[in-house]
Amino acid sequence: MKPSNPSLLAADFLAKGYSDDCPLIETHAHYGPYQGAYLPVEPHENRVHAFQRAGVTKALFSAQSAILGDVDAGNAMTQKVVDREPELFAGYWVVNPRNAEHMARLAGDYENTHGFVGFKLGPAYHTYPLDGPAYAPALEYADAHKLIVLVHTWGGSAFDSPQQVATVAGRYPQVAFLMGHSGFGDFETAVAVARHHEHAYLELTCVYAAHDFAMLPAGSSTPIQLASSLHVNGIIEYMVEHATSKKIVFGTDMPWYSPHFAAGAIMYARIDDEARKDICHRNARRLLDRVTPTDT
Amino acid sequence: MRKASHAYLGSYAMDFFDCNCSYGTPAYPPFRFARTPDQLLEAMDFCGIDRGLVYRAGMRFGSPLLWNDPTAADLANEPRLEPAWAVLPHQTGEQPPPEQFLSQMQASGVRALWAFPNEHHYRLDGLTFAGLLEALTANHIPLFVKLNAIELGDFMREFPDLTAVAVNQGPHSLERYLRPLFDAYPNLHLDTSYLIVEGLIEEFCERYGPGRLLFGSAFPDNCAGAAMLRLAQADIPEDTKEAVAAGNLDRLLAEVQI
Repeated sequence: MKPSNPSLLAADFLAKGYSDDCPLIETHAHYGPYQGAYLPVEPHENRVHAFQRAGVTKALFSAQSAILGDVDAGNAMTQKVVDREPELFAGYWVVNPRNAEHMARLAGDYENTHGFVGFKLGPAYHTYPLDGPAYAPALEYADAHKLIVLVHTWGGSAFDSPQQVATVAGRYPQVAFLMGHSGFGDFETAVAVARHHEHAYLELTCVYAAHDFAMLPAGSSTPIQLASSLHVNGIIEYMVEHATSKKIVFGTDMPWYSPHFAAGAIMYARIDDEARKDICHRNARRLLDRVTPTDT
Repeated sequence: MRKASHAYLGSYAMDFFDCNCSYGTPAYPPFRFARTPDQLLEAMDFCGIDRGLVYRAGMRFGSPLLWNDPTAADLANEPRLEPAWAVLPHQTGEQPPPEQFLSQMQASGVRALWAFPNEHHYRLDGLTFAGLLEALTANHIPLFVKLNAIELGDFMREFPDLTAVAVNQGPHSLERYLRPLFDAYPNLHLDTSYLIVEGLIEEFCERYGPGRLLFGSAFPDNCAGAAMLRLAQADIPEDTKEAVAAGNLDRLLAEVQI
């Protein structure tokens, strides 16, 4: 049956898998294998194919191994991918506050890259709080250069809660903070942070699917499950209503969320097509226009 | 590497039969959900989903004692929505013994069951459910099982001939757990609701053929349109897509002998 959804963009995605009027800019992707799960998207060509089929025109990403393993080797992998397809990919430099030697040369290392637009922080993965002193040099640098900083966030976390994003957004007002996963489970607080801080944004990865940790035999890398994690339908509408569509960006955690699944959650949210365009590409384009990629 | 690219025809001709959707008001409701069958139909219309095999939120988050019968009554005159019930152990007297329970299913037009062991705190095993599970197997009644993959494996070892549908297997990739089970148990099926990692739907269909995957949205836990668009744009042959979208669930329900 034909959907009653009046969106022309949704009709495009259903008919073709993409919309010329609504390209997707992916602000939260990953690359490389992951120790804890089989991911079919490797090799590289499969990933590019998946992006192309959904109309992804730019993908901001970091290597998973940079977050969960050797940060230097992982960041080097990111650089190789950016060098291979600089039109499609832009890099996040992963920051690991548990690695003092890496932190000491952070600015110099970052300035030697090509095609990077900011930092990726995973406080819960490194069990170090976002508002702790070891992150300060990276955030001071990002503030001075108006970088994009993508932060893994989770409701109730001791390391990267939306409340902690509010703290650092106040300290470093020129950083464009993307709240990865929108403070999953504590969506109301994340929305309030996005509303009150000019450069804080809700990034939608994970928001497309409920999380029931009872279904994950080995648990989750993110240890907290709030009751609100069991349902996500309607959250995008809530975000648009309370933070506006200007404060939300598209991301899929590629390959963790299929671009079509993610796009479907936006196309079949009860919002208008202008809001969909804001979320899918306009806001990210504005952020990219604000930052100067390295070595350009 | 997958090389073929299968484009959706975009004709709206595909029939979507959602095996995993619900209505009703849980204690912690989603931002948007369906309180009533009419609201569920409106949500399905919005996403172009034709039919649903439906449970009620109270059957999962509350007690099936309260909500199995009213759900069947609610949906008795709604041709697009078919009711499913949830099971409990009969030893406590909360549900009748298997033979009587199947008679009640027949009288209420119920052809499928759900098991929510985590929500209802029981073990889905032979010690607890032998009689019922043997009856379901004999009558080809599908059991939708919300159970993590390790416990699902224990369950299938005991009842390999049961028509089982594993649901909500994600959102992470659980393939290292699941593939040995699907390799071993041909009667084990899977719903698409949490096959969210890019490429999993495609690889499942390539490995197991078109007959063991069922379209499920997990509405209102998730947005039904997300699951619908994901399947509509899956990189699989069109006839496989049609089987997953509706044909496989139609077949399983047609095989029920009750």
